[in-house]
This record gives sequence, structure tokens and C-alpha cells, in this order.
Amino acid sequence: MQVEYSPDGIYLPAIGLWLDPRATVPAAWLSHAHSDHARGLHQTVIASAITAQLYRHRWPLPAGRQQQTLLLNPNQSIEWNGATLTARQASHILGAAQLLVEHQGERLVYTGDIKRRAPICGWPTEPTPCDHLIIESTFGLPIYQFLEAGIAQTRIANFALECLAAGQTPVFQGYGLGRGQEIAHTLALHQIPCQIHHSIAALIPYFEAEGYTFPVHSGGGAILVTPGLEEKIPLPPTKRKVALVSGWAALDNARARANADVLIPYSDHADFSELLQLIAESAPSQIDIVHGYAAPFARILRDRGYNARQAAA
Amino acid sequence: MDSLALAAERVAATSSRNEKVAHLAAYLRALSNDDLALAARFLSGLGKLSVGHATMRAALEAATKWDRETISLCYREVGDSGETIAHLCRPITKGEPMPLTLAATYFETLQHTRLTQSKVDLLTRIFQTHSAPALKFFVKSITGNFRIGLQEKMLEDALALATGQPSAAVRAANNRCGDLAAVALSARSGELEKIEVTLFHPLDFMLAQPFDESKELDTPANWYAEDKYDGIRSQLHVANGTVKLFTRGLDDTTAAFPEIVLAFTGQPGPLILDGEVLAFRDGRPLPFHLLQQRIARKKVSQKTRNEIPVLFLAYDILMHQGELVFDKPIEHRRAILESLRLSNLSQQTQLQSHAQIEELFQAARARGNEGLVLKRRGSLYESGKRGANWLKVKRPFATLDVVITAAEHGHGHRAGVLSDVTFAVRDGDRFLNIGKAYSGLTDAEIKELTKLLRASTIERYAGGRVQIVRPEIVLEVAFDGLQRSPRHKSGYALRFPRIVRWRRDKGPADIDTLSHIHSLFHTFSTATPA
Repeated sequence: MQVEYSPDGIYLPAIGLWLDPRATVPAAWLSHAHSDHARGLHQTVIASAITAQLYRHRWPLPAGRQQQTLLLNPNQSIEWNGATLTARQASHILGAAQLLVEHQGERLVYTGDIKRRAPICGWPTEPTPCDHLIIESTFGLPIYQFLEAGIAQTRIANFALECLAAGQTPVFQGYGLGRGQEIAHTLALHQIPCQIHHSIAALIPYFEAEGYTFPVHSGGGAILVTPGLEEKIPLPPTKRKVALVSGWAALDNARARANADVLIPYSDHADFSELLQLIAESAPSQIDIVHGYAAPFARILRDRGYNARQAAA
Repeated sequence: MDSLALAAERVAATSSRNEKVAHLAAYLRALSNDDLALAARFLSGLGKLSVGHATMRAALEAATKWDRETISLCYREVGDSGETIAHLCRPITKGEPMPLTLAATYFETLQHTRLTQSKVDLLTRIFQTHSAPALKFFVKSITGNFRIGLQEKMLEDALALATGQPSAAVRAANNRCGDLAAVALSARSGELEKIEVTLFHPLDFMLAQPFDESKELDTPANWYAEDKYDGIRSQLHVANGTVKLFTRGLDDTTAAFPEIVLAFTGQPGPLILDGEVLAFRDGRPLPFHLLQQRIARKKVSQKTRNEIPVLFLAYDILMHQGELVFDKPIEHRRAILESLRLSNLSQQTQLQSHAQIEELFQAARARGNEGLVLKRRGSLYESGKRGANWLKVKRPFATLDVVITAAEHGHGHRAGVLSDVTFAVRDGDRFLNIGKAYSGLTDAEIKELTKLLRASTIERYAGGRVQIVRPEIVLEVAFDGLQRSPRHKSGYALRFPRIVRWRRDKGPADIDTLSHIHSLFHTFSTATPA
């Protein structure tokens, strides 16, 4: 199936559908609600129910504007311009989904952002065999090796408890949507109080609706902020310790880059071995790599006998 | 090596010096005597080996079956050999622990293996066998760069804490013998005072603080002034007819200066002098870049010796006839120094007034020297300290406004950012490179600069490592000297260039010109005809 890559995004001309477009388009599939994927006021959006809600929260519809929203939850299908579109679960952030496009006997899967291991908040990835796979490679080098969710949670809790026992304030850096809520939920499971930056707190109700618990907002305890804000916390460096929970925390140089003391390599993206596993499970005859270490990762895949290329998205 | 790795990771995970020392002390305290000596050896960098990058990479290729391109890319992202090897070997190694005694055996075997292929084979086996954390710190030990924010002084403090000895005693003992393994054992048995001076091991140098010229000296007569020389600060050891020279980086540079060896062979030892190696002819020091040509050589031809003659100019004495004298006052040391009747001794003047500093400074510059060092009356030689008893009077040359023309990734914690920049001056509408700087900006500025530089990259070379950028970003740089050099297109090179500030207010049209450099050179080089 023909796929066009341009600075505006990924486009399937045969069925007139854009995948996570950056520009405003007639019809778009939104794989998840991060703002580099779900943005703009397209005429029609297709997304899972949770993604659609989070997208609307972050991208409100101006008064008088119309938008058609087609909800497509995992393992539901719709017909679209002669193709069958099916959503499949993606382990990434709450609501993330892969899109399976069946058209003229060919199966194409667009993963969006994805990992193979289970997330702290969200559903696990459903491996989806296909002919043509479009996949990201944010961490497509073998130096990137991440922790299982359970181990990451233990590390998060232990870090916080050790700091508190030593009279220091544990500070976490987490993104506004995804990591932030995962850290907060983990602290709640261990009854560790936490002050949460409003940009993270604002999306917590969507997570609570899915059954996740969150810490009581109180004075004291841990502090959870978006990256960069840890420098603005009015505490002397001796009174606080900063943990970076991220895929980039796999490398020691993240410490200096993120002003972090403790590194917890846990990501909502696949590490190198997960990428290989995802690809093996899809068994595609063509692979397009769209993000991250696309060129070297495509070469590594070709060395392993896959038909892979860097797609200039 | 595994428990050392665990302790080292704890040290890395805190920015507090006290916590680093406490973590290390807890680790050292629990070790047996044999392991304590080995751990001290590895941590203090005594395990550094001359195993090249190529050897290491060949072993990594053989062990992991990764191709060279992938390995190079991984190294570029990580910025540290030990860490890269640990990551790439984690999926393939048997994960066996590496006891320190075994690590020591590996070290010795590697040290005594001549054939590169045999080294590669041994390293391959090591990489396939041992746990990733052990490999990470084993390789860091070999390459001599731990990059966990651990300085030798913290190690000495940790050792003191672990053994209940005073820090000062541990430091003094380590300075005397330079073997932290021996110091560790003596500290544990409470016999630090028995540690004797090891000859031909460089002691730490005493360093000078910059003198704040905006303030008056309290009592000028309490100070001696000497010229500050633009040479290679060196320590000269003599005993039994053997002479050795060490630089501040504690490198042995003896082989580069045979005439100095010859001049001191007859001196009665054991003797340790502090001073400066200078290129010197017709009563004047020669420019520093000529001296650099000497130090680069292992064998020195007679022709080079004639063209660039060198001498050792002494200004302090640490050991005289086998007796340490650095704990004696400066007047006492000076008297011994003068009694040696050396042919080259730094002149010392007792200051009479504050105004005399200016006069002496100008005289020093006129003699082709860099400035002055002020030394306090009655002071001791404080080995390894940058204290307030020595003050350096140094004035930077004028600063220059330059534009960035190329950038490359740094190392260690600056691996992911473009921290090393090449910069140029203007000649009409051309930009001619004049130098390269690594430091002077904050981490936040470097981050921001990296973004801008990436966006303005025109081309890449050296495997993508070096990026040529559009000349847009203006920096103000300071430097300590200007010399003619074929290395850069401008025909000049700067000494110790460092970034003073990012001039966001200026554009490439506002920067300094080549003709300005010509005139600077002529103003300042009257003392040293090149």
C-alpha cells in the first residue's frame, strides 16, 4: 500500500487518511494524545475514546467550529473508503492504539508510539501480524535497555522513601501526560504523599476514570514537576534529590542533561530489544521507520534480513 | 569489581561531597586487606593501561558481533567507553562476578601482553564473561576515567573515614608516596607516619590564586615577588645520578629534555625542585609554541636542541639531601636553593609598596614573562593547594569577539551536546578560524547553543562528529597569548582561549578583524621575536 511521508505527516492516498498529521487535514487517525501526534482541528478524527477525550482536553474546539469524531476502540473496526480500519491496543500512554488498515488483501499496521512491555497506566500491546509495518525507533540503538514497569515502580518508591528517611525532598520529573501520572499513581500505591504540578494534575481525572488512584495532594512528601521546573523549586540542593524516570535515563550522561541525581530507565517507548520483538511478532515484508534513530535502525534491520527503510516523515 | 561498581554508582547518584565520601567509606570499610589495597589502586587510577580505543573496539566487535558503525554510533551517544561496553555486553555476557583479585590478574596480563591480537582475545573473553556493572568499571579503570565526580581528595577522605585516621595524615602520606594502596593498608594498621617519600614519584604542586588587582595588599612588605614564567611547570627529581622531570599533569617528560638531565646529573641528591622548563635563547624566553614542539618528541635531535634550547629554572625546593623541606618557611627554602648555586634561579624581590607591583609587572612582561607570582613571607610549601599564600598577577590579553564556525560533541557529561566550538575572526567578508574553546558557558547555555547550532548546520564531517555551522553566533573569548601558527586559517593561534560570554547583542559583522589581530600581535610580541 502506498504511503507518503512529508513534513505534514504520514498519508495513505488510496484511502484519503492521514496518520498523526502535523498539519490540519480532512481526515486523521490519532494514535494517542501527545501533542506531537494529536494536534490541529481536522474535519474528521478517528481515535480511541480515551485518546479522543484527552485530545479534546488539550485541543478544545473553538465555538462555532465543527469536527466529526469517529470513536474506534481496540478491536473495533470501521469501513473507510474501501478499507477496513481496526484499532489495536498499544502500550504507550493511556488510550494509545495501533491502527490496522486492511485494503485489497494487504495488511498495514501503523504503531504510533509504542512499547512491548506493559505500562504502569494503560493497556498492553496487542501484537498484530501485518505485511507493511510503520514503526518508530526513538530508542533504536542497543545501548537502550529499560526496566519492567514493576521494577521501575519499586525503584520510584524506594527512591522517594530513602530521600524522605534522610530528611530530603524527592523530586520527580515527569511529562504532563503519561509519565507524570504513572509516577503519581506509583507513589499513591505506596502511600507516599506528593505535590503535583498543575499541568500533570489537570489530566489526573481521566486516569481516575479508568480506575487509577492518586496521592492526596498535601504539604510535604514528594514533588512531581514537568522537566526543567526542578531548578525552580525553592529548596537548597542539599535538601532535595532529583530522579529522572525516562528512557534517556539509560545513559549516565542524562544526569547532567536533566539535572538529575538518580536515573530510573523506564520509558513509554520500546527499548531496542522490544523493538526487535515487536517487529518479529508482526513479521512484516516491509518496514518503514519513522522516528528517532531511523537510519541506523533501518540498517541494523536490513543486516538482519528485513526489508526496512528510513521513512522521511 | 561488582561491589566497587555498586559503590561507584552510589557515588555518582549524589552531588553531595559528604554523601560521596560516606558511600565510599562504607564500601572500603567492609573490604579485606587485600581487596582494600586493590580497590584503592583501581579507584585512584593506578590501574590505567595503555590499551587503545582500536583494541577495545575490536574486542567489543568480537564479543558482541556488533558492526563497527553501530558501535561507533553507540559510543557517540554514550560518551564513555566503559558504559558503552557495559550496555552492549549486557545481553551477551554470562554475567559472572569479577572479584578484585581477578581484575588485578587481568590488569597484569594485559600490561604484559605485547601482541595486540592477544590483548583483543583476552578482552573479548572478559567482555563475554563478566557482569555489565563489573565491565563498566573495569574498563573505566583501564582507561583511567571514572566520570563519577570522584576526586582523589574525596578518596583520601573516604579512606580516612573508613580507617578512623585524620584526613590530613592520609593526604600527607599519599602525597609522600603516591601509592594509595600502600596508604590504605598503613591507614588501617595505624602506621601512616611510617610511609616514606618515594623518589621519582611527583608530589602535588603548590598553586597560586589569581590576585585581585582591585584590592590593595594589606602589608606589601609581607610579600616576595617573582616573575611568572610562560613555560611548563615541572618538578625535577635527582638521586644517585638519575634525573626525572614531571609536569603538573604528573606526566614524566624527562625524555624530551636531555640537556636538563645532563645539567642536573651531578647535583647531590636526593633532591626535588619546583620550577619551570623554558625554551630560552640569548637571555630571553622563546614563545611557548616552540617549547611545545620540544615536548611532543620522544627523541630529540641535535638540530632541534640547537634551534630550541631549553633550561630548567628553579623557584622552590621540596627535598634537600633526602630531607623533606616543604614544611619549612619560604625563607629557609630560599636559602637552601641559593646555596645550591644553580645556574638558573628565579629572582625574588621583597615588595616595598603596592605601587611596586605595577613596576615589577611591566618589567616581567618586558623580559618576555607572563606576569608575577607573589609569595607570602613565612609561608610553607602547601603541596596540592591553591591557597592564599601564592598569588598570581596575570592580565589577559584583550578579549576578542569571534563567531562560531564549527562545533562538535563533548565527552562525558557533555557527550550529547555541542560543547566544543571552533571560532573565527573576520577578514573582509571571509571568516578565518583562530581557535577552539571547550569551556566558559553554563550547561543551560550549552543546551541552548546546541539547539541553535544544530539548526544552522551546513555540513558534517569526521563521521558526523564535527558540524560546520553558518557563522552567526558571536562569543567573547579571553586568552593568555597570541602566536603565529599554521594550524588555523587566520595564521594565528590563541593560548588558553576560553569563552567569557555569549554576545547575543552582536552579529558576525561586529566581530574583530584579522587586521586587529595583526596589530595585537605586534603590540605584544615585541618581547619575543618569532
